[in-house]
Formats: sequence, structure tokens, C-alpha cells
Amino acid sequence: MTLQKDPEQNEPKYLHRHADLAGKRVLEVGCGDGRLTWRYAGVARHVTGIDLDRDSLRVATIERGSDVEDKVAFAQADSVRLPLAGAAFECAILAWSF
Amino acid sequence: MLKPQGTLIDLRPLAGNWPVDVVSGRSSQEAGRVSDLAAGLEDDAAANQTMARAAEQDWFRRESEELFPFHYYWDSPNEMKAYIEEEWEDFVHISDNVWKSARSLWTLGGAESRLRVRVNMLITRWEKVN
Repeated sequence: MTLQKDPEQNEPKYLHRHADLAGKRVLEVGCGDGRLTWRYAGVARHVTGIDLDRDSLRVATIERGSDVEDKVAFAQADSVRLPLAGAAFECAILAWSF
Repeated sequence: MLKPQGTLIDLRPLAGNWPVDVVSGRSSQEAGRVSDLAAGLEDDAAANQTMARAAEQDWFRRESEELFPFHYYWDSPNEMKAYIEEEWEDFVHISDNVWKSARSLWTLGGAESRLRVRVNMLITRWEKVN
């Protein structure tokens, strides 16, 4: 199946318009396969992506670029029971969490 | 977890009978619209209520908000149909008339034609108050 999502890259464009992520610690809730994560991780200080879907997280980990390998971490979790006690973030993104 | 004065970005699709287009080169033609199902409308209402309550409690302050299009493209009607039935079955329905119209326009459009759904996205920036 040939599916293209947001080839115009409107999503990262509008994200950057509304959020200054440069140098920030970011929590992304509902990161899925990392499609959006990779489009801003380069400017963030560190990104923690969480999702309930294990298969999507596996894809995200496989597609993690070597340039952001050290500053992106993924975990299987939901937003109600975050396994991140003590962690502090300057920005949280609720991504498609409907 | 989120620091005081931290930023919360709420990024999500909004139900709204998204248009189904057939795109050929730089031109596009609307074949019809998907029909929203109850689950999608209920999700929108629940998310809106949650954030409204957070604002009322003075936990978060709304800083900015905007709508923008998020496009899905498929090479053929069958691919679009399979995806929608598998991924969006709880949220949208496409009537037979819209399917027929999309197929006809896609066939007429030639080898370069693609199907597109224009999803309406909402992005809201909130600031954590304390």
C-alpha cells in the first residue's frame, strides 16, 4: 500500500510555529511510530516518547536516526500512569491523543 | 512532571466531515465528504471539556490556537478504502455515492491520479500556570 501522510509537512511547520522546542526537554504522549518525533527531535535537548502500542514503538526505535539516538527515548506507557517519576519537562505534546 | 510555565501542545484531528479529493498534478476535485461517526465526535467533546476544565481551574492558560490541513494520500481508491476501514472505522464512514464519485474521478484522472483526505487539525498552545 502506498500511503503518504502530510507530505507538505504542515504538522511540523505548525508545531514549530506554536512551540519553541529548541534546547527543551520534551515529553510526547502518543508518539506512535515516531513520525512527528523525528521532525523536531533535532532541535530539542531530549525527547521522551510514550505510547501504548508496542509495535509502533518498535518501528520508532528502528527508524531512530543515529544523529538523535542519544537524545530520544521511548517507553510503553499511557498518560495516566507515567513511568517517569521525578522527570521534569519544559514541554509536553499531546499528539493525536484522542 | 511539566515544569511551571511549561508548554503543553494539544495537537489532534477534529471531526468535521473531511473532504475526499482526487488529485491530478496540481489540480484537485472534491469527490465528496466522509461522514463523522459518534466516536469521533465524542472524543472531540471529551478533549475539549478536559482542556476547558483545566483552564477554568487555572491550571493552564491558552496562549494560541490554529487550524491546519493534514493530508493523507493513496494511489488508488482500493488502498484508501482498505486503510479507512482498518484504521478509521470507528470515526468516519464513506457513503457509496462518495466511493463511486471518487472512483470515477480517479479513473478519469489518469495514471497520476491520487486520492486525498483533508483532515482538519487543531493545534493549541497552553502554558502551565503554576
